[in-house]
Order: sequence, then structure tokens, then C-alpha cells
Amino acid sequence: MGGIPCGTVFAMTSDMKRPLLVASVLALTATASSADAARTLTEYRYFRALSVDLAGRLPSRAELAAFEKPEFDVDKWIDAQLVGKAYADRLRRAYMDLLRLDIGNTFAFRPATTVLRRQTILGPDGKKIYVYYRNGQRRSREATDGVFCLTKAEVGVAWTTAGVAFGDLKAVDAAVLAANTVTVKPWWLGAESWLAPEMLTDADGTTKTTEVRVCKEEASTASTGTVFWTGRKAPVAGAPIPYDRVQALPLDDGYANTNKGKTVACDHATAVTHTTDCGCGPSLERCMPAAGNNVEPVAFTLPSGSMLGIERPTSTEKTTQSAWDRLWWGQEAVRYLEWLARDDRDFREVLTGKSTLVNGPLVQFYKHQAPASCCGNGWYFGYDKPEGLVDSSKLPALAPTDAANWKLTDRGPNASGILTMPVFLTKYGTRRGRAHVLYNVFQCRQFVAEDVKLEPSTEPDLTKRPGCSTCHATLEPMSAYFARVLESDWTWLPPALFPANSDKCKSDPLKMSGACKSFYDPSFTSTSKSLLRGAYSSAANADAGPSGLASKIATSPEFSSCVVSNVSASFLGRPLGTDDAEMRARLEKTFVDGGYKLRALVKALVHEAAYRTANNLKSDAWRETEGK
Amino acid sequence: MFTKRPQLALLALLVGCARDPSATEAASEPQPTVPSSSASDLPGHGSLAQDNTPKEGPRLLPAEVYIQAYLDIFGGLSPMAAELASRGKEGSALFDAWRDYTASLGMPDYEKDIARNGQTNAMMLATFERVGIALCDRAAERELDTTPRPALDKRTVFAFEPTPAAPTEAEFATRFDVMHRIFIGYPAAMAETPRSKRFFDLYTSTVAKHSAKGAPASGLSPQSAGWAAVCYGLVRHPEFHTY
Amino acid sequence: MNLDRRSFLKCLGGCGAAAAASAPLLRAFADPTAGQDEFFVLIHAQGGWDVTMWADPRWEQKGLVDPATTKNSDTAILKKWKDGPEIEAGERSFVPYQPAGSKIVFGPAIGDLGDKFDRLTVINGIAVNTVSHPDGTVFAATGRHLAGGRVPASSVDTILANEFGTKQILPAVSLRFPSSFIGSTLDRRAMPLMVDGIGSMGRSLARTNLNLGADDRQAVTALLSQEATDLAARANDPTAMNGFALQLAALQRMTGASMQSLFDAAKLQVAQPKFDYRAQYMGQFAVNAAFAVESMKANLVRSIAFGVGSFDTHNSNYVDQGQRQQETFDMLARLIEALDATPHPTRAGHKLSEHTHIMVVSEFCRTPQINQTGGRDHYPNGSALIISPKFRSNTTYGKSDPEQLLPMASGKFYDGVRALTPADLIATFVGAFGVDPRKYMRDGEVIKELLR
Repeated sequence: MGGIPCGTVFAMTSDMKRPLLVASVLALTATASSADAARTLTEYRYFRALSVDLAGRLPSRAELAAFEKPEFDVDKWIDAQLVGKAYADRLRRAYMDLLRLDIGNTFAFRPATTVLRRQTILGPDGKKIYVYYRNGQRRSREATDGVFCLTKAEVGVAWTTAGVAFGDLKAVDAAVLAANTVTVKPWWLGAESWLAPEMLTDADGTTKTTEVRVCKEEASTASTGTVFWTGRKAPVAGAPIPYDRVQALPLDDGYANTNKGKTVACDHATAVTHTTDCGCGPSLERCMPAAGNNVEPVAFTLPSGSMLGIERPTSTEKTTQSAWDRLWWGQEAVRYLEWLARDDRDFREVLTGKSTLVNGPLVQFYKHQAPASCCGNGWYFGYDKPEGLVDSSKLPALAPTDAANWKLTDRGPNASGILTMPVFLTKYGTRRGRAHVLYNVFQCRQFVAEDVKLEPSTEPDLTKRPGCSTCHATLEPMSAYFARVLESDWTWLPPALFPANSDKCKSDPLKMSGACKSFYDPSFTSTSKSLLRGAYSSAANADAGPSGLASKIATSPEFSSCVVSNVSASFLGRPLGTDDAEMRARLEKTFVDGGYKLRALVKALVHEAAYRTANNLKSDAWRETEGK
Repeated sequence: MFTKRPQLALLALLVGCARDPSATEAASEPQPTVPSSSASDLPGHGSLAQDNTPKEGPRLLPAEVYIQAYLDIFGGLSPMAAELASRGKEGSALFDAWRDYTASLGMPDYEKDIARNGQTNAMMLATFERVGIALCDRAAERELDTTPRPALDKRTVFAFEPTPAAPTEAEFATRFDVMHRIFIGYPAAMAETPRSKRFFDLYTSTVAKHSAKGAPASGLSPQSAGWAAVCYGLVRHPEFHTY
Repeated sequence: MNLDRRSFLKCLGGCGAAAAASAPLLRAFADPTAGQDEFFVLIHAQGGWDVTMWADPRWEQKGLVDPATTKNSDTAILKKWKDGPEIEAGERSFVPYQPAGSKIVFGPAIGDLGDKFDRLTVINGIAVNTVSHPDGTVFAATGRHLAGGRVPASSVDTILANEFGTKQILPAVSLRFPSSFIGSTLDRRAMPLMVDGIGSMGRSLARTNLNLGADDRQAVTALLSQEATDLAARANDPTAMNGFALQLAALQRMTGASMQSLFDAAKLQVAQPKFDYRAQYMGQFAVNAAFAVESMKANLVRSIAFGVGSFDTHNSNYVDQGQRQQETFDMLARLIEALDATPHPTRAGHKLSEHTHIMVVSEFCRTPQINQTGGRDHYPNGSALIISPKFRSNTTYGKSDPEQLLPMASGKFYDGVRALTPADLIATFVGAFGVDPRKYMRDGEVIKELLR
């Protein structure tokens, strides 16, 4: 009768039933004299399963041949896989299937400060040339203030915000061109393999692009600028727009009136619409390229199928400007999860970790582009220097084109695992959406209220509103941890400027200013209080921020149980049930006692009978295949 | 079938409810133990091994692993290189593009929140066939119908020398075993079905069809067509796609 | 009377009478052949649509409601937009659209479908009790919430395929619809064929005779069917291997030449040119509607289910919500016209439209308020659309409250007066064809008032 050949190290788990153990011992004894006793079908299938799950592929012929030798050490083979990339991929896949941290083109990060458009005009020789510009860029020349830097009189055409042209192109005068534009070697020409074909040649379609022409304001490398104030009066109703423009002259808004002449940083939202001296920085590093002048121009050729890794895509496609950031945001989460598994980190760092992995594009994003979504009405609260969830001073010095070079970096005190990554904050854009997914994925709990009746109510506090409170009594305090992170954004609202209860915004809620309404909730505003949006259920949670929620979940009793559930379900192909109670308890103990490390958990799991000897055979068939 | 113990307990309860002193005495009598004997004590079970193994249905090979297996069997190319090699000079006759197949193969799409498909369906099997045909045909072209053939250790599918004449069943079996190990991961002789015989019949009938007068034109020799059919059967086999 | 345990426990007093009242309805429809010549199209509007722009129009600022206006919406593109009340200086909402003879009042995003009011049944005030995409999606398709993250019941297209479709080559085709097949008593053939899109289906079905021919491939398929059958016979749980065997049988039919043109997007566009395949948001899904018509015409399918979207406009992309809806409803108008023009494959003298039943649902709707980023968030209310000769048309059933857009009670059910739920909608849809919902569904009741 067949059995386990002697000399084979094959872990026996405590749940193996006694008769099988007896049979195995008998088998060992019976075959002690046979040095090359065959493997059983169960053992072959186990080895194949291990290869699929831990090596990400089928066993090779050589591996199978080695496996068939009696001296093959399965445990040693398992250990070797548990430090490999495929194992890390496997665990990353398990969690990405749950978190789905990738964003399609329904979310486009294209703030005016970072979006370069490309206009086609006729050069002095009458041939087409490209000129890059930012829509909304302030210029001291009134005729071009807020629009393209050459007038209709100079180039023959004026354009709308959406890029619709009015007029017929004519050759621009050389001196005018020189006065209003400059040539620059932009950062993106160092990343040619990522660019759409349209980005690689000049307007003639054949000359390889080695530098680009850009409006001179956009070429500014200054890091600060001065708030531009014009003193313009609103035009008389019906008066024609001067200079033959199709867009009206920009007027001074509340921000300009209050802050005229003030120094502002060039990397955030106010820069392009409120200064004439803020541009795209050295090599245009603050801005993203484009092959057109409409709202979402094509710019890049990026992997569109990266399930085997971004270095080995199954397909690539031409895509838009905003896709560049989305790609690298997604990759940050991928690398982070893989790092946690590969380096066998304490898995709680998935929520609490202060580090991340960044490459050149991500450094560019965090340093130069992330602030561009700040600060809107924040200036009213003195918030004009954005405080990010990543301390950019800690970022490594990597060029924007250095996509293959990934470095581990500290993000600073506000960071917290995936909770403060752009991909998470935009995929789950609302405070409640963020809390909800964490509740599902890391505590294995659901907000389901099957039989609740929702009656109309004027109670603004959802933790108390009849019906809603069933879920919101838990959800609101969890959501409050994200009250200081803007929705669909990563901008952090510091407590010093945005207290949970604002004296500045106390008022009759119907008379709240727009600036106050941006950050404070009219439903929780009165003459005696004004609560930060999302913070009404717990100011303490709001002040603790995402890292507070991370710590709460990571130390909750459900966390380890949920990790065991998720990892086991991924490997076993089914959820754990009541029959798995003993196995679950063993695995949870292994995971917790081992310092919340996944490697020990996975190693234990692949030795469990539910993984190792499970089969789909009727007992007669099983006996036949095992030679029993 | 009730055991003795619950009946006595029930009786004790009923008697207890009636507050009959004799019931208390009955309830305090020592309870008989549940008889214990192993299955091997039962007639006919002495030599029968107990099957205490957990029973689980098969899992579907994740789409990533399937594609990786394809690439490995195709010689370790990158996905886009394998796509080009699969298309060859015939354009989309044998292979379109990976992006046409990944959804049907069950790949999740995190952008669109489409979950991983863990169950087969007819479209998935159609895709397995489409992709598998490309793999087998190109492997046959590369490893069998080329002169000289690559060294055995360089072959990823047909890692054997075909017989000069029509193989006997035994000759077929040793060669089939090589392919079976590559795709299914265990010796063909251990298969639960008469697999080797079935595939031998498939091989011989395919060769016969392709050798017959008036057979449709093929890019492969009849013998290679026979081995390609064997490859089709293995790369589409349920045991290849599950684990 | 055949109440399941849950319904029995829910019933307090009027149970017997209520059940008796519904029983004649079911018996009258309990014709086992009721659905055999019928076709079903199920559409899921992904992401949660803004019902105030089409089914449950709100044009006044009242309570929580911020209506769609010339400021927050791209109105130039909406065919049925007519400027209405001034909300703020220079900002106007809309005049609701109610064609002559229509008892339904539509919002401005209804597009051409509004003119077919006599074919439509609008259902408002659906109590979805969730604002989670995955949970709401499953609830809309199955009538059950997720249970521990798992889908606990079969979806409506599976139910219909199981009842009426097992003789079709493709009982159920699902194109990014939340289909589910749950339960060991269902016919495996009814498992929806779930694919991403028609185009990729066509390429997966393409075959060449470059090296081996169709006979060779069929011989391989026959061998594999034998293998799968034999492995199933030895299996503790034969489901997977039996599934393989059935799917291999279906595959043989699908790779036949006559089928391939059905899965060729270009050929479908030629066969059904009236759909707008270049519509900005929904053009990519129009080919699914074309596939529905052609596959029904060829009598190959029983139920086709597909998703359209996304309508999940949390941010400034809300400005396009109206356009997304209009493109969807225009597609439905073209679908009705195509069905009106296409002969039924088995009922001589009949058109497909007389025997095709369409249901369009979404997982929830959007908040009545506009949020800080110019969009609308998720809200636990829903509206649905049914286009079916079995349903009373030119009617609106159910409602939401005027100030907070929350579902209001729509009728008396076994468990009391309450708003209808997705389970009731599905139960009514399948019940219209004589299917006892209790065979598949734990919850949901047939709403007689919706049926002719």
C-alpha cells in the first residue's frame, strides 16, 4: 500500500485523525525499505496548489522531478517561496481583491495649476508650431490675462475654456512670439517610453521634440509669487469683450482684494489664478503635459493591464494627462502591500504605517502637484500653505521620470498606512465611504439594516435619527476620523486653523459665509457653535485623524480574526465556516503570537488539512487514488 | 436512533416535574457510557482505510496564474511579446490581444469594481480554447515541425522525441506522460480516468484524419497535428484550470 | 397556501386572508408555459442615479431638495429641458416634462423615452435601506442584502433563465450585470454567462482552421466532456465538473458560424443602426442593446442583463448626470422601436415587443442636496422603470416624501404598511409570469396593482 515515503519531512498537524495517523505510520513502516516510493495523488496536487499559491505559477518539470525524489523537503521549499516576490504578489492580490484600489477616469485630478494645454498656431514662417500654456494663467498684459499668451490679433484665433476656436490662424510675428514665449526642455522628454506618440514630435509630425515652446509666465521657475490685483471694474452689461477675446477679462475676487501683494507659494491652487509670476517651475516639473487644448487631452501611453506587474503589462493604451497620477497612486498601494508581505512586516502597518514607497512620479506628485488642490476658501482661515498628509521634506530626490526606482520613505506624522494614500482617499472619496470600507475589510463587518424604516425627520444627528441610527451610530464616529481630510482629496485641515468648533463661523446658519460653509456644517451651526463638517459625532476622533482610526481598528479584537478570515478565504477559495472554528483559532493564535506577521499565518495555513489534504473525492475514489 | 442516555434524562425530567421522590432516585443512578468502538471493529471495515480528509470543491486557477502559466509554457516571454508571437504572421487568426481575453478569463477590474470570477462559464471555456489553440499550435510549429528541433531541455510542451512511425499505445503513453506532468502536474498513470487511452485514441484519429486523402490543408504535419490535439485536450482540461 | 417560515412568522393576524387573496393571482398566472416565448431584458444603472432628473422630478428648492439647475447641470444638451423657476439670480431649475396624455410626470433627462409614456411603468419610493454600492447592487438584483459580504440569493435573470430558459442555447447572458447563481437545486444551464462586453465575446469565439479544423476541436471537446463527466461521478461535490460538462456542450453550439456574428460588435451595429453607438457616456453599452434584439430574434437567449453607467456623480461630474440619463433613456427608446419592428421568432404574426419585458433598476439614488464639490452623494431611496405588456403602463407607483426624498409607504404588505423594496419589485416581475417568488426569494411580495 502506498503512503508517505520515509525520510520525507511532511508536517503533521494536530487535527489529523488517529486512524489516518495509524495508517500513515503503518505505511512508513511497510515502505521503510523502499527508497523511491511514489508520491500519492494528494501529494502531487498539494505541490501544485503550493506552486499556484506561493510561486504564482505551475510547478516546472524540474521542480516536479525534484519533488518526486524522496529527499525533497516540502517544508524547505515552502519556506523558500515565502520570501519570494510571487508570495508577496499573492497576498497583495488577496487584499486588492477586497480594497480594489484603482481608479478609472471617473476621477480626474486636473487642477488648473498643473494642467498644461498645447495650442497649435502658425509660426513666423507660416508653419504650425506648438505652444504650451495654462488655462486661467494671470498675465500682466491685459489682453492675454487669464487666457493664452498671444491675442487674436497676433495669431488669428481666440479660444474658449473648452478649446473651441474662433477665427482663422495666421502667422505670428517673430518678435511678438519671442516677447511672449520661451523654449524649455520639459521633464517629460526624459520619459519618452511613457508618452503618447503625439508628444514625441513637433507640429510638423516628423521632427523629434527636444524642447517645447511655452508661454513665458508658465516657464517661470519661481517658488513664490505675488497676489495680482488689477483694480478692474466689472464691465457694463452688454459691453463687448475687449481685445477681441472670447473669454471675459478676469476680475479681482475676494481673495485678491484681501491679499493683494501678498506672497504665496507657486505650487498650490491660488498660484495660477492669482499671480503672474508663478509658473510650472524648473523643467516645467509642476505641470503635466498634453497633446491638445481641450479639457482632457491625450498625453501618455500607459499600461492598461498590469495584473502581472507594471513592468510586464498585457496591454498599453494611449491615455489622458490625469491618468499618469492615477497610475502611480495605484502603484503606491500595490508596492506598499507587497512590501508588507515580502518584508514580513507587522501587518497592522497596512493601517498604521508611517512609511510608503515612492518613485520619481510619486515624488513629483507629492512635492509639486498634491498641494494644487489646496486651499480654496481656506485662505479665510489663514490656510494658504497646504499641510499635506505627506511631509514632502522627507521625500527622496528622484526625477519625475525615474519610474522604476522605488524608495522607502517616511511620510511624517499625519500619514497612516493606506488610509492616507491618494488612491484610497479618492477611491473612497467620502468620509463615510472611507470608514465603511475599513469596517468591511479590516473588521469583517457590514452595515446592513434589513428591516429599518426610514421616516422623514429633521434630526441632523444621524446617530440619533430614527432608522438611520442603526448604522450611523457606529459609522458617524468612524467617519469623524476623516473630518480633517478633505473629501475626494488629501488636503489636511490642521486643528490650529480649523478647530472642531469654530468661533469664526458661529452664526445664524442661514447667514453663513461661503467660506465657512466650505468647512463647517450649517446643520450644526448656530450663534453658539459651528462644528467642522464630519466632526459632530466626535471632535476627539476628528482631531485624532486617520491614524486614530487606524489604531482603533488595528487594536480591535476583530482585526486579527478578520485577517485570518480574509487570507484563509483567499487561499481556500471559500469563506471560513463554523466547522473551521478550531483551525481559525489556531491560525489566529499563530498570527497574533507571531507579531501579526503574515508569513507565519500563511505557512501555518498551507499546513492545515483544509489546505493540504482536502480533496473532492468520494471516499471510495479517495481510497483508490491513495492506494488504500 | 435514540441512545439510552437521552431517554433516561427525559424520563428523569418528567418524573422530576411530578415531584415523585422515586424519580430523584432514578435520576441519580449512574448513567451508562456511550459505547465506543472504532469503524475497524465493524465487519468488513477492518481493512478499509477511513477517509477523514476534508472535502472541498476545486478552486479555479486565478487568471494571473493562468496567464503566467501560458507565458511559461510559451517559453518565458513577457505578455506583450507572447501576444506578438502568438499572432505570428497570421494577424488575428490565432490570437487577438490579451485585453480581449482578460475579462472572460475572470480577471477582476479594480477600476470598474468588477470582482474576480471564481467559477467557469461557457465564455470562459471558449476563451480557454481560443488561447489554448494559439499556445499549442505555436508550440507544435516551434518544437515539432521545425528542422532541427530544439533540444529537449529547451522545449516547453513537446519535451520528447516523436516516434518515427505511428506510436504504439505504450510509446504514446510515455510521451503523453511528459505533457501530462507539464500541464496537470502529476503522472498520467495516476489519472482517475482512462486518460492515456482516451488521448491515444484522440491522437490516432487526428493523425488519421490529417493523413487521409483530401484532408484539409494544415500548417502542421499529420503527426504534429495529432500532438497538437493532445495539447488542446490538456490545456483545456478541467484539471489544468482547477487546483 | 404556501408560506415559507419567515413569512409565516411575520404574519400576525391577517396572514391567512392576505395569502388567500394573493393565491388566486398566482394560480391564475401559474401557467408553466407562461414565460416560454417571453424574453427578458434586465438593466442595471450602475452607481446610483439622480431620480429627481427623470422619475421623481423635483424642480423647487424645498426642504433638503436642491433641484437640478442651469448652474449645476449641463442643460444645453438635454432635449426636454425647459427653464423653470429661478432658484438664485441667474440660476433656473426646470419645467417638468409631461406630454399630452401622459399620467407620468418626467424630469428633463428622460429624453425620447418620455414620448413613449404609454409603454412605461415608473416605480418611485423604493426603500433600498443602503448606500453601499456593493450591497445596493446585490439588493437591486436579488432582493437580498449581502450577508457577510456574500451574495445570498440568485439574481432575477437567473430566476427567469431557470424557469423559462434552459432549452435556449444561452439561457442567460450577463454583461456587467450583478448576476448571481445560488443554490444547488437550480439547473446549471441557467447560470448566466457573465462577460465584460460583446466585443470581447466575439473574439473569444473566433476560430481558425489554420492547423486543426472544427472536427478536430470537436473531438477534443467530446473527450473533455467525457473526462468531466467521469470526474463528476467520482466527486464528492460534482457541481464544478458537471458545470464543465454543460459549459462544454454550450461552447460547441456557441462556436458555430451562425452564432459568431451575434458577438461581433461591428456586425451588430450594422444590423441595428438606430442605436447611438457614439453617445459620449452610454455609446459603449448600446451594442448590448443591439445584441439583445438580435439574439432574441434568433431565439438564442431567454434573458439578457447588462449594466450601464456610471451615474455615480459625487463631484463636479454631476454636471453630466442629465446627459448620462438621457443617453440611457434614448437607448431604451430605440430598443422599444427595434422590438416593435422585429418579428417574434416563434409566435407567428407577433412582434418581439409584445413578448419582451424590460426592467431597469439602480442600487440607490442620489442625495436631494448638492454637496460641497458640486455633486450628489448616495441616498437610500430608489426608482425603477418597467417596460412590459404584463404591467400597467402610463402609471407611476410609489412615492417619496416632498422634502427629503425618502421612500413613503406605498401599500399594505404582509408585514404592514410600508414602502416597497427591491424584493417586492423582483417578486412582482417574476410573479407576472406565474413564477412563485417563494421558490427563489426569502422576501418580496407580488404587487397586484402593478399588473394588468
